[in-house]
Amino acid sequence: MNLRRTLSLVTIPLLAIVLALIVGAVVIIASSPLVSGHLDLVLPLRAYAALVSGAFGTVNGLIQTIVSASPLILAGLAVSIGFKAGLFNIGAQGQFLVGAVAAAAVGAGLAHAPAPVAIGVSILAALVAGAVYGFIPGFLKAFTGAHEVVTTIMLNYIAIQFVAYLITGPLRATGATFARSPSVGAAELPVLIGRNGHLGILFALVAVPIAWWLLYRTTIGFEVRTVGANPDAARYAGMSPRWIVIATMTVCGLLAGLAGAGEILGITGYMPAGYSTNVGFDGITVALLGRANPIGILFGGLLLGAMRAGSNLMQIQAGVPVQMIDVLQGVILFFLAAELVVRYVFRVRAARAQVTELQTVSRSYGQQTTP
Amino acid sequence: MTEPTAPLEQHGPPPALEMRGITKRYPGVLANDGIDLQVHPGEIHALLGENGAGKTTLMNILYGLATPDAGQILLDGEPVSISSPSDAIRRGISMVHQHFMLVPVLSVADNILLGEEPMAGPVFLDRRSAYGRLRDLATFFGWEIDLDAPVGTLSVGWQQRVEILKAVYRNAQILVLDEPTAVLTPQETREIFTMLRRLTTEGYSIIFISHKLYEVLEIANRITVIRRGRVVGERLPSQTDEEDLAQLMVGREVQLTVDRGTSHPGEPRLVVDDLYARDDRGHEVVHGVSLEVRAGEVLGIAGVAGNGQDELVEALVGLRRPSAGRVQLDGHDVTGAGPRDLHQRGMAFVPADRHRFGLVLSYPLTDNLVLTDYFRPPYARGIMRDEDAIRVQAGKAVEQYDIRTPSVDVAAATLSGGNQQKVIVARELDRDLRLLVLDQPTRGLDVGSIEFIHRQAIAKRDAGTAILLVSAELDEVLELSDRIGVMYRGRLVALMDARSATREAVGLLMATGGSQPQKTDTGAA
Amino acid sequence: MRKQRFGLLASLSVAALILGACQGTGPGTGSGSQGPTSDLKIGLVTDVGTLDDKNFNQFSWEGAKQGAQAIGAPEPQSVVTTASADYAKNIQSFVDQDYDIIVTVGFALGNDTTKAAKANPNIKFIGVDQGLCVTESGDPDPDFGCKGDAAKLLPNYQGLVFKEQQPGYLAGIVAASISKSGHIAAIGGTKVVPAVANYIAGYANGAMSVNPDIKVEQQFVSEAPDNAAFNDPAGGKAFAEQLLAQNPDVDVLFQVAGKTGNGVLQAACDANIHAIGVDVDQHESTPESAKCIVTSAEKKLTKAVSDAIKRVADGSDKGGTVPLDITTDSIGLAPFYDAQSLITPDIQSKIDAAIKGLKDGSIDPCSPTACV
Repeated sequence: MNLRRTLSLVTIPLLAIVLALIVGAVVIIASSPLVSGHLDLVLPLRAYAALVSGAFGTVNGLIQTIVSASPLILAGLAVSIGFKAGLFNIGAQGQFLVGAVAAAAVGAGLAHAPAPVAIGVSILAALVAGAVYGFIPGFLKAFTGAHEVVTTIMLNYIAIQFVAYLITGPLRATGATFARSPSVGAAELPVLIGRNGHLGILFALVAVPIAWWLLYRTTIGFEVRTVGANPDAARYAGMSPRWIVIATMTVCGLLAGLAGAGEILGITGYMPAGYSTNVGFDGITVALLGRANPIGILFGGLLLGAMRAGSNLMQIQAGVPVQMIDVLQGVILFFLAAELVVRYVFRVRAARAQVTELQTVSRSYGQQTTP
Repeated sequence: MTEPTAPLEQHGPPPALEMRGITKRYPGVLANDGIDLQVHPGEIHALLGENGAGKTTLMNILYGLATPDAGQILLDGEPVSISSPSDAIRRGISMVHQHFMLVPVLSVADNILLGEEPMAGPVFLDRRSAYGRLRDLATFFGWEIDLDAPVGTLSVGWQQRVEILKAVYRNAQILVLDEPTAVLTPQETREIFTMLRRLTTEGYSIIFISHKLYEVLEIANRITVIRRGRVVGERLPSQTDEEDLAQLMVGREVQLTVDRGTSHPGEPRLVVDDLYARDDRGHEVVHGVSLEVRAGEVLGIAGVAGNGQDELVEALVGLRRPSAGRVQLDGHDVTGAGPRDLHQRGMAFVPADRHRFGLVLSYPLTDNLVLTDYFRPPYARGIMRDEDAIRVQAGKAVEQYDIRTPSVDVAAATLSGGNQQKVIVARELDRDLRLLVLDQPTRGLDVGSIEFIHRQAIAKRDAGTAILLVSAELDEVLELSDRIGVMYRGRLVALMDARSATREAVGLLMATGGSQPQKTDTGAA
Repeated sequence: MRKQRFGLLASLSVAALILGACQGTGPGTGSGSQGPTSDLKIGLVTDVGTLDDKNFNQFSWEGAKQGAQAIGAPEPQSVVTTASADYAKNIQSFVDQDYDIIVTVGFALGNDTTKAAKANPNIKFIGVDQGLCVTESGDPDPDFGCKGDAAKLLPNYQGLVFKEQQPGYLAGIVAASISKSGHIAAIGGTKVVPAVANYIAGYANGAMSVNPDIKVEQQFVSEAPDNAAFNDPAGGKAFAEQLLAQNPDVDVLFQVAGKTGNGVLQAACDANIHAIGVDVDQHESTPESAKCIVTSAEKKLTKAVSDAIKRVADGSDKGGTVPLDITTDSIGLAPFYDAQSLITPDIQSKIDAAIKGLKDGSIDPCSPTACV
């Protein structure tokens, strides 16, 4: 029974990936004259082969895959826990950024402190910042009914401007030729494995089972899921959808903030004013790909991480631009969202009474669900 | 299985609709097993069957929503294949659904014309000729209806009539009505029946799906009963009665009315004093309701849906804050108390809308069966759920309440309505109760499930629980209650002893609130 | 039904693969080789954006290709960066593929290029727009004291920087000379980016050298180097329209705002006034606004990158910050094209004099308005 259920859950994501690879191949072939000078029908094969070998072909590639996947997994969790509570958290991007800038700021302040202290406090700062940034839309939703899709999108913009202000203003490193925060020094995460497998990958790997346990084995998770599946029934059962919405958004923000800390403390070591990232939005893809289930998100994150890690080799060896990954990702997202299309193409019957995360997405644009 | 009843041989013109040997298999279920059905021109043909008997599948096949694995459909003797609803409509088959498919903000005329807009040229609507035809139709039925009134302002009975008018306007020759009277008062039902009879005189054929046996006996020219995908009997109304039909439907002898015995009311359990409540849009819809429910009695509240009952119940069970007034349970003031508090004080609640409040459809039975108790031992210790204890409880409940399910792990959505309701009843009734609130507890259920739930309720009453029953089903109220109240426009307009209540009297109170009965029921409410 | 669909798709893709296998000959690298040859493998990592941004990424890439051709090396490869966190990863992927020369584009990559240069002394790095600042051990200096001698510590890393004030100064001369109203303007993306501030300081100083009474409007689209500052043409257009509405007599507009500035150019065209482009020859890169672009204050990125590659090939490369200025013709004014008629001999002689002065140091483009 569980096997069948699992199968029916993974069918659509897998088919979406297959369809995306096919569409990607068509795009690659169509644009191959630009690469090879003629219509090159094997180019997709070479591109995909390079992609796979870049992501999994070497130990360093494998580690890079995990490193790239870590923030995506955390952001994916941040989106999917929202889905579980019937919330479409588009704000993972903003929560990621405030977490990142908090880690960068506190890290820079503690650059010469003992490493465990510097790391611990910086991460704590990122967790708090992200949590606060998730709390805001949660609170607004619970007490004013402001839809989280709208508020989180706006908060994303505020986060970008806020980060830019901090980095170009109070946090700007003196002496640097461009606007960036000072280096985080001692707060830099130690490399545990290989060339760049930093401590941050453990955050993601530990967050997955914790999130799973919380969602499926505790009364708190039960309340979250009930509010998401049927807020009226949740009230009937004596739960408080309001507080659950707030708590859920706060936890989402916390996870996204943690992802931000990992990227700053583990990879760049400082934060530039124009910090460019897409982790928060990719988290939506990961969450949909993982069907809002923590285990699924682990795999969804690893898949996107592998594509990010392997894409360079694809460009270097096959000459297919890195942006192909964005095409693949976009097509995957399209097919995940347009699940009906996939079901039609492959004649897959719908699993009954599921797909709550997609309902959350589509519901977000139509009806108002007040807790 | 088909019983060889004599008067079915046909003369004259072929049937308007004939379905021959319709078979439809879904994985694990034989939904239709060689069903034969003949509907003659000008006939009202009732289709009777419990939920899951295969009525819906059969009608979906007729309406082009499902393809039969075997069998044939003939219209006026000609074999046809119907591949889609638009195909069905084109062939003159129209379906009036149980849930209205009307757009509340559009006018009556616009609702009827929607999707079928008459065009004058390629761009402009030809409203004039359309209005003319609509007026002719209304006159035909003897209605005075404002074609420009928004449908949302009409009473439910009128909305139902608009639905039927819509089908007729589209030149349907065969109308399928899926439980058209489920939400109507007896008076409104009678209006609909008049309309249907009028239609048959014009040669329309009607397939009438219902659970209400006496209605079927009243309106149908012929009755086909199906059970487990097969036709188990055809009857003429003159040759049968409710007991016979119920037995055919259920496959065993059924007691249609629970023997409720005599009640022994005790001390007042629930005391409601001058209660006011507002609906979601802020309009006050409960105006100063006072009532008392005693231990060991059933107080039934009758009323047409939408007269404030929903808000009253929600205010009593903690889902809605009353705007004024006082509620006492066992002498404690519980005005504005939350659902969990009331639950712990021994109140249980079976909600009218089981999909909205009672169940989380995507959850397995296990989770649904502990929906109100999930947080306390033995189902949880601290924040840790005890999956074993939950499963043990689920197994017990399934057995004790005869919930028909392949396993306790299937989603509640996969169960039939009756079994879903049993899940709620199992959860809510499976403990010592001080007060039980039943809000439309049998809406949309089949005869067997209704019988079961009524028995459970009476058993609770006899064990000394105070029961407040709210229902738009007049029969249910009459059958179960020791005392009867009627809600009309937010007020409790009458409170009487059940022994002195008649169907007619209560029905009139429901429809008019006890004031002068209105002479003509016009469209705008 | 279901099986059939699968089958159809599968057979289609198989057919595609077989067809492909029959035809595939691989990428055509067999260039008709004449002149010098080299087996140096050149890779380029862009800043966040696209390879065809008509700006830094694109012209650096052109430079890499020209450089490769000039030394007879195989066609270079590129990796486009899509997120700030990927700089190190992208540089590393060329390292892992044993590339010999790695070009990184943009100041934001300086930190990671420095680290990579230290870790891989046998690989040559060329950083575009990257001033080197290292500690005595050759690491990126977190305190920006720049105590270490980058040229000695990282001899394999050329950091190419441009003196933006110089082309800015020349642009200012042109602007002041062709202005009839004596009121000109410059729109920058954000003043916190030194390059922007320097361009505009030079512009103001150049203009004043021609006409001491000239009014130079200086406005910045954003407080931060964000999307609005450099990546938002529509926003830039609106911003410029507002400036022109408030200062209707402004008749020359200099943009220093990347793609945002492309909108500024459009606004100038719509208002029928003169515009001056930045960084690259915008007459070519933004043909939609070519008719009103008089010239552009140009960093000759293509030449700079190509030259740096040639230096690596012939062994004349030296590490450290490589300042590029007018003495090596690495900066300057783009051709005037159709606007040539505006440039009277008198104006041309002023420009020539300024170039000469800048070259011999007798003109300071950072005075009186100071550079950063």
